Amino acid sequence: MALTATRPEVRPLPAPTGRSRGYQWSARGFVAPGVLLVAVLLYLPLLWTVFLSFTSYDGLGDPEWVGLDNFGEMFADPGFLGSLGNTLLWVAGTLLIPVGLGLVLALLTWNLPGGAWLQLPFLLPYAVSGVGVATVWSFILSGGGALDQALGGLFWIEAPPRWLVDAPLNTIVMIVAAAWQGVGVNALLFTIGLHSIPKEPLEAARLDGATGLRLFTGIVWPMLRPLTTVVVGLSIVASLKTFDLVQVMTKGGPGRASETLALTMYKETFVNSDYGLGSAIALLLAIVTLLASVLYLRRQLSQKLEV
Amino acid sequence: MRRRFAAIAALAVLLTACSGGAQDTGATTGTLKFFTNKAAWEPDFDELNAASQPGAGITLETTGYSDANQYDAFIKQSFRTKESPGLFTWQTGPTLAALVEDGLVAETTDIWTEAVAQGWVSEELRKRYTYDSKQYCVPMNIAYWVMYYNKKIFDEHGISVPATWAELDTVAATLEAAGVTPYYQTSILFAFPWFQQMVMGTDPDLFEGLATGQVSYTDPRIVAVMQEWLQQQEKGWFSDAGSTVDPAVGFKQREYAMMIFGSFYNGSLDGAGLQQGVDYDFFVIPAKNPDLGVTPVATESGPLCVAEGSAQKSMGLAYSKWWMSPDAQTAWSAARGDVPFNPKAQVANPRLAELGQEIVSAGHRQVERYYEATPTPILTVALEQFGAFNANPSDPMPYLEAIQAEADKYWAEQR
Repeated sequence: MALTATRPEVRPLPAPTGRSRGYQWSARGFVAPGVLLVAVLLYLPLLWTVFLSFTSYDGLGDPEWVGLDNFGEMFADPGFLGSLGNTLLWVAGTLLIPVGLGLVLALLTWNLPGGAWLQLPFLLPYAVSGVGVATVWSFILSGGGALDQALGGLFWIEAPPRWLVDAPLNTIVMIVAAAWQGVGVNALLFTIGLHSIPKEPLEAARLDGATGLRLFTGIVWPMLRPLTTVVVGLSIVASLKTFDLVQVMTKGGPGRASETLALTMYKETFVNSDYGLGSAIALLLAIVTLLASVLYLRRQLSQKLEV
Repeated sequence: MRRRFAAIAALAVLLTACSGGAQDTGATTGTLKFFTNKAAWEPDFDELNAASQPGAGITLETTGYSDANQYDAFIKQSFRTKESPGLFTWQTGPTLAALVEDGLVAETTDIWTEAVAQGWVSEELRKRYTYDSKQYCVPMNIAYWVMYYNKKIFDEHGISVPATWAELDTVAATLEAAGVTPYYQTSILFAFPWFQQMVMGTDPDLFEGLATGQVSYTDPRIVAVMQEWLQQQEKGWFSDAGSTVDPAVGFKQREYAMMIFGSFYNGSLDGAGLQQGVDYDFFVIPAKNPDLGVTPVATESGPLCVAEGSAQKSMGLAYSKWWMSPDAQTAWSAARGDVPFNPKAQVANPRLAELGQEIVSAGHRQVERYYEATPTPILTVALEQFGAFNANPSDPMPYLEAIQAEADKYWAEQR
């Protein structure tokens, strides 16, 4: 008998019998509650928000159709444009500080005996809620607060910067506060990425004499790309929707100096009761977030690893 | 086909859940569901049950919200359901007008007519609850905006309570020269009281004109007030606007000597461990314009309303009626330590009783507080701009122009 590899026979699917039809129906029965929940809790509000963005509505009576007026009003408002600028500052700042520092921390502790323990203190703030972080940092940064007292006591600085009052300083210090919380988890993710890099190419590169920055740019960084993609993608989304920290620390003020898009959306909707304009901002924010994520992920994930 | 039917059925269920009010049960005694944005006052409302149960046969079941915006959204939403409240707190001014316009709150004209006839409430207060000659809601409370001062700081510097605006300026200058910051200010939320005091004290009609759109924020008289405010800022009369320290705590820590607040603020100061009459006291702020003839006092009154479509409408109105009585107001004053609006009620705190008598006496004019009087979109921008001005005192024109731009937009939409 000759040895031949036998391929499994591909048979056409049998026509559904009464029993399999029953299975299908029971499967639908199991899925239905979930689908219904998602539809009611996610899709309906989403559609309602899209509808409201084309209306004038104060929460009472019935919405009144106004077409694209809300979008026109949105872009004509200098406060909105300032808020857009701050949001972009948040995106840039978040990529630079928490993601950048997270990578540095992961690299410094990589291959160090007990490196994970060194990361632990940086990871702890992640367990604190955003509002908690904001409260602590308000205490530190407010006028005459802990930092000002420390600067005055240790360095005799009589007039320290007004951390939470002057723009764009207030946005920058809030990004630092966010970084304090986010560095640890980014470092942890990068560490996982670093440990998943196969040993062989690293050893081969080392034998070829690659060390330090050369090893990093030539081997480590390209091989870290899938993980970097995830970390950066998550950071972009998180920074676009920044709300809690700013709401607690400055309420977007003074004036509207530190407002972000999420805060503008909240303010228009729930403070001014302009549900139409608030929904328009929500829609814009959703589209920007979605576009940024999709474009970024498609670009990154479509590139093959070049090692 | 079946799928389409299921989808339509699901939508129908949702729409029914979202529509219309309930039938009034007609009951006037029992347990009344009460919603308020003053969550901190919940124990005070509960304490009232001891008086309302024998007085009106009604027990309040209070649900308190501590976030005002969340509360507003909840109440507005509730009008679309069968759960619209039998009794809820709200704000006077344009926000109440919006509810009245949509027919969402029950009329209380009869209750007011009787209360005014009994001398339980002033005609002046009635005006704030009147729309098209009918009344809606009843006043939950009234607060007068006065100047709280640190008694010990005043004593240490030999300062007595000022009787005129010029004397008030002298007090501020004396304190500043002695290294004490005279006034509290903030860049968040309560950024308006100083503006309110200066404009109102210059001319109450001018102040009221701002709220109705008759006066522009760029009016030379308003600009002059702002210029004076700027000079005071430059003299160092105000505390750090960026500080997030609780104002009562800052007051206790002597970071400033005076602060403008409503007469309900006693509670917060007592809570911070200060004693009225020993550590602090308050005075009615003199008119800025000595030729005015009256002393304008900013007053704040929050309403108690009944939803028109509530199943507990009758019970809510019965409670509202009882609420106007001296018994109810005496109980409220004892529970909350507040000034009651009913002059026949007994006031637990003698100093507040004195204040109430002083303000209803001749020579005073009650002016609706800026916060309630100003339409919300203008108010939002104004609070932001005053906050920004406090944080960065500079040429007031850009701030005023920003508020006026919003006012122009708002009034154009109203006409």
